[in-house]
Amino acid sequence: MPKLRAAAVSFLNARPLTAGLAGSQRIELVLAEPSACAAMLERGEVDLALQPVAALAGKDYEVVPGLAIGADGPVQTVVLAGENPPDAWDEVFLDTASRTSQVLAQVVLREMGLSPRFTPLPAEQGLERARGSKGALVIGDRAFWLVEGASRRPYPHVRQVLDLGRAWNQATQLPMVFAVWAARPGVLSPEDVAELARAAQHGLGIRTEIATAFAREAGGKPETYRRYLTQRIRYGLGPYELAGLEAFLSRAAAAGLLPPTTLRFADDVVRTRRVRRQVSLDTALQKGADGERLDADEAELLDEKAPLVELGLAADARRRVLHPDGVVTYIVSRNVNYTNVCTTACSFCAFYRPRGHGEAYVLGREELARKIEETIALGGIEILLQGGLHPDLGIEWYEDLFRWVKASYPTINLHALSPEEIWHIARVSQLPLDETISRLVASGLDSIPGGGAEVLDDEVRRRIAPLKCSTDEWLTVMKAAHRKGLRSTATLMFGVGEESRHRVNHLLRLREVQDETGGFTAFICWTFQPENTRLTPSENGAHAYLRVNALSRLVLDNVPNLQASWVTMGGGVAQAALHMGCNDFGSVMIEENVVSAAGTTFRMDSDEVERHIREAGFVPQRRNMRYERVGRAA
Amino acid sequence: MLSKLAHRALERDGLGPIRDKVMEGRRLTEEEALRLFETRDLAAIAALANHVREARHGDLAFYNRNAHLNPTNVCVATCKFCSFARPDDRPASQGYTMSLDQAVEQVLGKRSLGITEVHIVSGLHPDLPWEYYLELVRRIRRAWPELHIKAYTAVELHFFAQKFGKSHEQVLRELQEAGLTTIPGGGAEIFAPRVRRKICDDKATAEEWLEVHRAAHRLGIKSNATMLYGHVERLDERIDHMARLRRLQDETGGFQVFIPLAFHPEHNMIGKAFEKPTGYDSLRTYAVARLFLDNFDHLKAYWVSLGERLAQVSLSFGVDDLDGTVLEERIYHMAGATTPQALSEPQLHRLIRQAGRVPAERDSLYHVLRVHGAPGTPERLPATA
Repeated sequence: MPKLRAAAVSFLNARPLTAGLAGSQRIELVLAEPSACAAMLERGEVDLALQPVAALAGKDYEVVPGLAIGADGPVQTVVLAGENPPDAWDEVFLDTASRTSQVLAQVVLREMGLSPRFTPLPAEQGLERARGSKGALVIGDRAFWLVEGASRRPYPHVRQVLDLGRAWNQATQLPMVFAVWAARPGVLSPEDVAELARAAQHGLGIRTEIATAFAREAGGKPETYRRYLTQRIRYGLGPYELAGLEAFLSRAAAAGLLPPTTLRFADDVVRTRRVRRQVSLDTALQKGADGERLDADEAELLDEKAPLVELGLAADARRRVLHPDGVVTYIVSRNVNYTNVCTTACSFCAFYRPRGHGEAYVLGREELARKIEETIALGGIEILLQGGLHPDLGIEWYEDLFRWVKASYPTINLHALSPEEIWHIARVSQLPLDETISRLVASGLDSIPGGGAEVLDDEVRRRIAPLKCSTDEWLTVMKAAHRKGLRSTATLMFGVGEESRHRVNHLLRLREVQDETGGFTAFICWTFQPENTRLTPSENGAHAYLRVNALSRLVLDNVPNLQASWVTMGGGVAQAALHMGCNDFGSVMIEENVVSAAGTTFRMDSDEVERHIREAGFVPQRRNMRYERVGRAA
Repeated sequence: MLSKLAHRALERDGLGPIRDKVMEGRRLTEEEALRLFETRDLAAIAALANHVREARHGDLAFYNRNAHLNPTNVCVATCKFCSFARPDDRPASQGYTMSLDQAVEQVLGKRSLGITEVHIVSGLHPDLPWEYYLELVRRIRRAWPELHIKAYTAVELHFFAQKFGKSHEQVLRELQEAGLTTIPGGGAEIFAPRVRRKICDDKATAEEWLEVHRAAHRLGIKSNATMLYGHVERLDERIDHMARLRRLQDETGGFQVFIPLAFHPEHNMIGKAFEKPTGYDSLRTYAVARLFLDNFDHLKAYWVSLGERLAQVSLSFGVDDLDGTVLEERIYHMAGATTPQALSEPQLHRLIRQAGRVPAERDSLYHVLRVHGAPGTPERLPATA
């Protein structure tokens, strides 16, 4: 098969997206100047290009979902500069090298209520003339050093620098997207999209190395570049970035700077199927009910074909063997989301905010103390602490936080940090995974939640969360944590357009790790909650939830407990789940920001949880994170 | 055919004899219904109810395109479970009464939406004349001849008979002549006198309610039957309620569908003392009703009260009919229902398909108008748009 040709610039900020294409079997990278990239794509000399967004306008290119080069605050490499501030300018020289930046400069100044004259001029001359009532657009290295390199300022008359990333963000509360992968219509297969996502995942993982290599080529300190790549530039194209991109294109069109554009996306749903051996539904159900191990073919058949009542009966039979005393446990715990700032921009998340956003937060000690004290007052014994991947928070921040929690509230269990967050901390702090976990444990971490698993199949992960850790990485954290004696839960969030084989693969991968470590205490699944996110659900129903939940009880023969997800499904469906495989009712909800941001609003206190358990015919019992039964506090 | 797993579960719980009767098409006794209510083996009774449901209707799940019209909420009755009724139509009491023109206009305004039925239920207004009710039906019928008019619960019809000095039959006949085609099943609540004394002691009794439906059936007017559960009633009183319906159905065959309605506790007089029945209670009630009411063709889940998720799940617990698009529902929403005000047809289709069923649009007499596609057709996921 001939390779696709992809054009991209060799700029530093593009490298995390392109580095992983070296040696790709599908895509050949062609390095070129920005204007050449656009021209080659236009002429059909390449199939796709890392395209500045202004070049999308009026074209029918297909954008690769999930990936972009953008910023949600200062970008450092696109600035307006002058001797005086922008409101003193009557003329602005526009660096001719980048159309997107030219348009951005005009849109931003317009947003600021300013209307200087715009004159195209190469950057060198523009900067030279940016004195008095004149300003200049500066991009790339020159801009970078205007900000970073106070000691080597080649233009001493420039005293005012307006970072256009920050200015855009302040004007719109949205991130700015500078470039995306764009392809000629119809050429990209879902596998190609997956390949680009894979490359990005690889590139983002080696940002430190990219920074070091760049410093060798171009001079400067690796740390300066590393910070730029990890903290300034964002590589996700999530709902906020998309909103930012659309806002940019529509404002530019309204101002007559670009033709109107409707964004189109490349198809990212991979459809491949292995040949499945013939299995009988009855046999598979019976095996599951009897606790015999199901293989992938049997599990997929059940997932696709078994009626809900039959799966429910089999799972119920299994639950009766595993938990014969009719006790249904629950915990009183509080879910605290310490920050909503996140860099992964997953398409299914309604909770995250870019760093510069008006609603972005990092929880302070005072508020956390209040939340913990309220939890203790309600009989709570655990805090479930999770957050976004905040680019500025290193391991010391977490260590301090955990030590403080443990010192202030010795009875509280810290159930904290999904595998994704642990990777992120290791990356930000440049530490090996094992050491990261050891340090977190030493500072008070008791157990880890199984969040962020979504669907543990890279075909799906690359599509819905291209910047999240891979399946192997997620499982590696869990194995490492289990080896250190930590216990964790495991989750599955499905209904994001995945197929049966992906869900089954997820369960099998978990089962494999559990055989090895025995460290999973419980499994919880739920369907993707679609409101306020840009994914449209394929199957978001309660029916699908009950089926997959029951299937999980059958496939995960080595995971002791199954939690019913009343938070997402409501108490009634969760009660049905107790009769179809579950033996645990999760947690009393004091707070759950992530799910409720996506429009789910179920709430219950302990009395209501116990009423639901009792009415469904079971005996309620409080537990701790290790699923040991504990007394009900007064 | 019932699966091995189902047989095993039913036998484990001592439900073998009940299963045998169901499989042989023999009628369950009230004691057996109580046994089913109390088993606590939800998966097993779901399997049995689902078996009956599929034997009757296969994979079809029915719905219709309908709109509700509640011409007034002013009501002389003081039912303790009601959040809708108001003592008068002064703005201070949040009461309202539509003029005939307004009411008719509200229905005719739905023309472009392609509804096939209007469902008319009101309060028991102290002052409106008989002509108002007749004329409302007549004018809708005249303006929109093919629309099904399902109007006035037995409680209202009984109130009309008393207030205007007519027999049930007379009331019904005049309405039928004006254009009424079926009557809704509301106002049944729970038939047991003990319960009616507590929650609705000043409206039609069980006997009067049943008498109105008997009269309707005699005139060839089909009707529905409801049961409001999850408040002060005991399980044996639910069963008694269903048993009375089953007896009348044996006699007339005029009931089309049984509709259990979960009590909603907000903004009414007894709500504070009672918690909303849990979903478990709803699901077992559907299953028992499907098994006990062997002479009812259809069992309907009212998604407005149940929520869309449980309504979807109920399609595996004996339910074959979902209330329709239900434009402009007021009664449950004033009792705190948080469900949407209406479901579009594509939304209903998706809800049904994702339960592994096939959406079938029906008319008010349960004739299938259109079957929508094969089951399990996946809804295409748009590429990240």
